[in-house]
Amino acid sequence: MSYLDYGDSPEQAELRSGLRSFLARADGGADTWKRLAGELGVCGLGVPSAFGGAGAGLGEVAVAVAEAGRVLLPLPVLSTALAGVVLGSAGVADARTGEVLAGIADGSVRAAFVFGDEVGAADGRVSGVVEHVLDGAAADVFLVRAGTGLYLVRAGNAGVTVTVCETLDQTRSQAVVSFRDAVGVATGADAGRAEELLRVMLAVESAAAAEYCLDVTVEYLKTRRQFGRALGTFQALRHRCADLAVEVASAVATARAALARPEELAVLGPLAKKYCADVFWHVAAEMIQLHGGIGFTWEHESHRYLKRAKTTQLLHGSPAELRHLVAQRAGLYEELCPVTTTGVTEFSWRATLSGNACSCPA
Amino acid sequence: MNDEHFRGEIRDWLAANLPPELIGAGGPGREHELVAERLAWEQTLGAAGWIGLGWPEADGGRGLPWRQQAIFYEEYARAGGPGRVGHIGEQLLGPTLLMFGTAEQKQRFLPGILAGTTMWCQGYSEPEAGSDLAGLRTRATLGSDGRWRVDGQKVWTSFAQFADWCFVLARTDFSAERHHGLSCLLVPMRQAGVDVRPIVQLTGTSEFNEVFFSGAVADGMIGSPGDGWRVAMGTLGVERGVAVYGQQLGFEREFSAVLALARAAGRLPDPDVAARLADAWIRLKVLRFTTEAAVVPSVAKLLWSSWHQRLGELAVDVMGPSATLAGASYELTDEQRLFLFTRADTIYGGSNEIQRNIIAERGLGLPRELPRLRGQSRAG
Repeated sequence: MSYLDYGDSPEQAELRSGLRSFLARADGGADTWKRLAGELGVCGLGVPSAFGGAGAGLGEVAVAVAEAGRVLLPLPVLSTALAGVVLGSAGVADARTGEVLAGIADGSVRAAFVFGDEVGAADGRVSGVVEHVLDGAAADVFLVRAGTGLYLVRAGNAGVTVTVCETLDQTRSQAVVSFRDAVGVATGADAGRAEELLRVMLAVESAAAAEYCLDVTVEYLKTRRQFGRALGTFQALRHRCADLAVEVASAVATARAALARPEELAVLGPLAKKYCADVFWHVAAEMIQLHGGIGFTWEHESHRYLKRAKTTQLLHGSPAELRHLVAQRAGLYEELCPVTTTGVTEFSWRATLSGNACSCPA
Repeated sequence: MNDEHFRGEIRDWLAANLPPELIGAGGPGREHELVAERLAWEQTLGAAGWIGLGWPEADGGRGLPWRQQAIFYEEYARAGGPGRVGHIGEQLLGPTLLMFGTAEQKQRFLPGILAGTTMWCQGYSEPEAGSDLAGLRTRATLGSDGRWRVDGQKVWTSFAQFADWCFVLARTDFSAERHHGLSCLLVPMRQAGVDVRPIVQLTGTSEFNEVFFSGAVADGMIGSPGDGWRVAMGTLGVERGVAVYGQQLGFEREFSAVLALARAAGRLPDPDVAARLADAWIRLKVLRFTTEAAVVPSVAKLLWSSWHQRLGELAVDVMGPSATLAGASYELTDEQRLFLFTRADTIYGGSNEIQRNIIAERGLGLPRELPRLRGQSRAG
């Protein structure tokens, strides 16, 4: 009996097990990218077949993101595969974006999302500087929010400067990306939706990585012996693992629900990212504690998960910021709507992407 | 039937039949309220066919899929339907009989449950057998007249004071150890050998009771002598499921009430209150998603019991100093009752500690804590 359920379709389950066994043997280098993005077309899962992709849905992309996240694959699968979905959506996939879509599908293009408040666009030119661009170091194209629009800017265009950062989490790059009158294509995609989809993918990845941390920890407790018995026989440790299992199972379910309810994306994007990143952080921290001294070494994998978890928690909305965003978009602080047919007061869940400015508490 | 049509049918029926005074009655800490009216309500529900929605049609149920059962719970909660008195018969004994009962037993007992006329209670826990259920001491002996007579004490028996029958787990083979030699007996409550004493809970009210059996005569047994443990584990397995889903819709109402109170009391500008409310809302969503993902029951139990308890704490914190006062005759507000009653949520139906043991062992495959004694149970 397992404690969680991925809720995969048969095709998704097959994709998951195929990716898991491939990634177990992959070194995460250039050859891995070539096989994964090129031959297997993982980043093109959400790209329409007319542009060379698999034409699958967000659910399949999430399987790839989860499996890459589980092993902290140091390749831009999340951002590139999501770019395939965003650029491949109806009304966005056309002659202007087609070349990039085809490149994502055949593994020749790597993408990164740029969400900063200081970016503007005018007359097809993008200007501004954004820090903490995840997967930005090796990106060939940037999907840049300017106002409510999403612009496609090639990294090689004049006026684009990419400064690679040293990062706490060495398995995912960050860059400072500067645009000075750089040529950009208005994609027609909704930047707000793209940002929430990115949050959902970070949630998916966090839940998967947290599951891996717990798996490894439980295996360790089964084999490590002290006081003449396996550590996993001590109730103090068993109960902590059980609590972590509850967190992981609920994080997996929450990420899955956010994927399955696109109409609630405005609320479930920040909600899933906050909840899953918090769970990931807690499980990674417990992973080190439950491994004892070995968990504190550079050689052991624990610290890489701890650093990825904290990085994910702090970027694209801190836990406190996202909690506020959820409350605001759900209308918790603003309006109570009485529904009076039976005399019962019911809460009306309001969800919009607009109207972020407010003076709410917390 | 189409789901939305079904939903409309339930909604219309509740609007026409639910007495206004029963709306919201009988919830946690209010189980003593309007008992006669709620017993009558069980019969109203039964007559209209709202009991046993998921039971097979051959056994008098409606054979509805899980989704439609969930719709019923959703609408019931939305309308503020009162706390059920008949749920132990409908959700515990009934399904147990469907699994283990003879055709004759099903014919005899199921119609009364479906009609809302026969109330049941569950006699499992004892003073010395809580989490360790297999350690129970109640005994039943077979008389020369061929009838089983029960002696012993049960405890935490919900609604025993209103029940017509009790299904009692008792030891029938005194040479067997632990979970061997137990049997599940059907005992009429209204007889000389049965004494019900309400337990006054920390809420000042009584849902739970002690039940004393002294030579009480049983009138039937589920399964054969010695099958009791198998039957009891079957009951515990059905104890959750769709009812948990319905319960969460009640949680949404409770959350909304706490939020409304915070708003009315001008507490929303307090960043601590605002953050806790937002966290409660987020975790309620997570709880809903996790339940829908059909996780193992212990995961759901740990999540909802802890969530509910925290909501109760938030409720009195939102009230502020006025939460420290009680009304005449220890009359409490909904928030105070929520705060107090939720201390039980993490104990009954398998304490959180037992749930963690189950997850560790069966979900994660961690080794047992200590080498098992001969015949020791895996009780949950």
